[in-house]
Amino acid sequence: MMMLSNRPRYQTFVFHLLAASIALVFGLPALWVLAASLRQPGTPPPRTIEWFPDPIAWGNYAQVFELIPLGRYLFNSLLLAALAVPLTVLIASWAAFAMAQLPPRVRYTLLALAVALRMVPITALWLTRFLVLKELHLIDTFAALLAPAWMGSSPFFVLIFYWSFRRIPPALIDSARLDGLGPLAIWARIAMPLARSATVAVSVLTFVQYWSDFINPLLYLKSESRYTISVGLRILQQLDATNWPLLMAGVVIMMLPIVLLFVIVQRAFLVEGKIAGVYGN
Amino acid sequence: MRYAALLLVVMMTLLAACIPAPGAARPEPITFMIFGDTGEKAAYEALVAAFSERHPDILVTLLHIPGQSDYRKRLGVDFAAGTPADVVLLNYRRYAAFAAKGALEPLGPYLERSELISGDDFYPETLEPFIWEGQLMCIPQNLSSLVVYYNRDLFQAAGIAEPGDNWTWADFLAAAQALTRDTDGDGQIDQYGLGTEVSILRVAPFIWQNGGELVDNPTAPTRLALDEPAAREAIQWFVDLQVVHGVAPDAVAEAAEASESRFLNGRLGMFFNSRRGVPTYRTITSFDWDVAPLPQGKERAGILHADAYCMPSVSRQKDAIWTFIEFANAAEGQHIIAASGRTVPSLRTVAESPTFLDPGARPVRNQVFLDVIPYIRGVPVMETWVDIEQLTADELARAFYGQASVDEVIRTATERAQPFFP
Amino acid sequence: MSHTRYQVSLYLLLAPFLIGVLLLVIVPAALSFGLAFTSYDGLTPPDWLGFANFRHIFADPLFRTAVLNSLIFVIVTVPMRTVIALGLALLLYRPRRGVGLYRAAVYLPTVVPGVAYALIWLWLLNPLYGPLNLILGGLGLPTLAWLVDPRTALLAIALTTLFQVGEGFVVLLAGLQEIPNDYYEAAALDGAGRFAFVRHITLPLLAPWLLLVVIRDLIVSAQNTFTPALLMTGGGPYYATLFVPLLIYQTAFDRFRFGEGAAMTTLVFIGVGLLILLTHRLFGGWGYDDAV
Repeated sequence: MMMLSNRPRYQTFVFHLLAASIALVFGLPALWVLAASLRQPGTPPPRTIEWFPDPIAWGNYAQVFELIPLGRYLFNSLLLAALAVPLTVLIASWAAFAMAQLPPRVRYTLLALAVALRMVPITALWLTRFLVLKELHLIDTFAALLAPAWMGSSPFFVLIFYWSFRRIPPALIDSARLDGLGPLAIWARIAMPLARSATVAVSVLTFVQYWSDFINPLLYLKSESRYTISVGLRILQQLDATNWPLLMAGVVIMMLPIVLLFVIVQRAFLVEGKIAGVYGN
Repeated sequence: MRYAALLLVVMMTLLAACIPAPGAARPEPITFMIFGDTGEKAAYEALVAAFSERHPDILVTLLHIPGQSDYRKRLGVDFAAGTPADVVLLNYRRYAAFAAKGALEPLGPYLERSELISGDDFYPETLEPFIWEGQLMCIPQNLSSLVVYYNRDLFQAAGIAEPGDNWTWADFLAAAQALTRDTDGDGQIDQYGLGTEVSILRVAPFIWQNGGELVDNPTAPTRLALDEPAAREAIQWFVDLQVVHGVAPDAVAEAAEASESRFLNGRLGMFFNSRRGVPTYRTITSFDWDVAPLPQGKERAGILHADAYCMPSVSRQKDAIWTFIEFANAAEGQHIIAASGRTVPSLRTVAESPTFLDPGARPVRNQVFLDVIPYIRGVPVMETWVDIEQLTADELARAFYGQASVDEVIRTATERAQPFFP
Repeated sequence: MSHTRYQVSLYLLLAPFLIGVLLLVIVPAALSFGLAFTSYDGLTPPDWLGFANFRHIFADPLFRTAVLNSLIFVIVTVPMRTVIALGLALLLYRPRRGVGLYRAAVYLPTVVPGVAYALIWLWLLNPLYGPLNLILGGLGLPTLAWLVDPRTALLAIALTTLFQVGEGFVVLLAGLQEIPNDYYEAAALDGAGRFAFVRHITLPLLAPWLLLVVIRDLIVSAQNTFTPALLMTGGGPYYATLFVPLLIYQTAFDRFRFGEGAAMTTLVFIGVGLLILLTHRLFGGWGYDDAV
């Protein structure tokens, strides 16, 4: 920390110049998308970059909702994510807590399992997962979309909790056990309160995962009334593949909740100190 | 043990949440799956509404899939899951894959017993392709053929006559050339004469008009016959429209803005499509449009586009389902769909009625669709046609966008298609 | 509470996860393996075919194209994505004024949903109207047809993935922050150059984290081609962006050849398994373990 204040001015300047231009490269497309979403549909797109379309067609956003039942899709996605987050946190943290407490040999086996699961190509499971879900009579239900939450949504989330729980001083848990507390009580009273940042991280990542999920609704849903926002955008694209203003309006609508959520919790992710709590010891 | 019990309760709840609750004891609704844009969807909504008025005891729910490829995927997945919709619309190019596996209930016997409709009411050209191993599998709703949709305002602006009923390939090319223009003088073409999907389906009528064939033997095909001189010449003519004459958007222009968008936005002179575009085109207010027959080659030929109502063999409530299919294809149902503009009705009486020929609704030259019927032909009906169609489309696109020669793509298409022939 | 009962209760906590894994991964994987030897089409009961599906796949030029495209994609993207994530992490790991904002900007594209991301890039790469070509044209540089040209389509999709490096970036940030401050102070005293410091001290200390990022990326990047390929190119032009996941999807869900799809799936499993074993051999570790 000492070094920072002594750093020459020009170095700070160069840093900001470099970092800002990188941020610009990463952020600029968002502005273009916004501008494209406000163009009058039907007119030939301009041959120069347009920052402020004239006239600004706010009506595009209303039109998207008229063209497809986007409100319904948004609600479905929100409901899905809202169900998936608590379920994921529960199952992933239970599994992680058990892993952290079990004897070393079992622990290493489970750890290897989690790592191996992380490596399984999901594309390879689409088809036969479909057959399993069919046997369970889950095709065309939200339960089919929620199914991954049964395994903590991603083995990575189990690992995040696991790393977090391993950092809890064993003495703390031992004394709780001497007090006669069982695993569920220790999990609830000691482990989870100490794993707040892991919980936030897993919650946010889970929300993003289910909000963005495209494959599962694409393959396992039938009824239009259950479609989610991802499928909605795909439908919009199929209705008219080159109606850019409407497509980009749909994109903005889909991205908005994610960006807002991310802005709210980004400190928990990216501000130093917390980060280590999320990713490893 | 308290937490263990709690755990059990939580798990049971989660499990319960996953099992669908048994429905109340009332008849399940019949599901009817369609694809198409919002205009087409509205037509089927009207049909379902009219049906529920006549048959309040039978509930029909519409499943709408916008894209054709998603529709196909859904069909496959639903059949595999054993839960297909009760009524599905299938094209004559695609139903064979299902019929061959016994997945469809033959509807011929139902039609024979029907008091509302009889096989004689239909144009035979549209029933015939749906006969699989001697049995009528599905009830066709329409027999559209490929036509030329054209922007009347652009023809007028270019100072050229609108296409006649007997125009030729040469007339067609001349019109397309006159319509292809750089309107703002920046060196880039902003208005094209012609827009078309590139597929065997679009090229086929021209091959037939030139005396060629798609396959060696249309009733028992064993290979693609695109390498015969007549077929090859027609393909070359079609490809040259883009490669030599530049009257259709090239690959870049097509990707930047699809031809159909260009047509809808008034920046494309002529667009090849079947009847299905009409409901959407009727919403066009910025210009006037009409339809013309395909330009003629050495002989007359048009290509059949037909979808039919099919009933999966696993469906329960077969009688109720037939009641719906029967209603949809009796005069009343066909009038409703025809009024939306979506179909060229398969029932002769409806096709020749004012509902279809309505002079107040575009296209004015509706008669074009009926005049071609005697000359209409279909692609071969076979289980693997979808595969053949897909790979030939991939090959033809290469030629149409100037990435390979016609001879080269015919050779690779023929070779690649071979495994899909018996 | 007795030790045994405590242990049993722990297993109860673990049970939902294990059941999920069983139903969603292990059973489907086993089924895949079984169906790979059958003619299953979803409509009629599966017939035993032996190795016919595999023979058919190996003879199919499209499968070869898809495998080759997937390999090229991995070879192109993984090193570039790793270097970008590392560079950004090195630039942004130290606390400074405004660094949070920069990190957020870098991470943001990663959380953009796949469908939205694909559509955005479809617009950015639009050959006539897209901002990218307009900028290139405006600067007097040659424009490209990107997704429309069979020669550039795969690289264009590879380009889009270079901005979604958030996960690797965050992992490497964590790794960099783990490096004890003593090193920096010692290096400052030595007057070691920045470059030399990175090369001789930072990178070796970061090695396990880098390994983690690379292994993860090797496996995921080939999978992640599905959504962009389906939405942006449909595998074209002329199979230039046909990747294995898209081919499996088309074979199984578009043509209903579930048996053949399962056979491809089995080959993917074997391929990924070999890849992982190879990495494990080369680096002597998983990347992830208790100590990381």
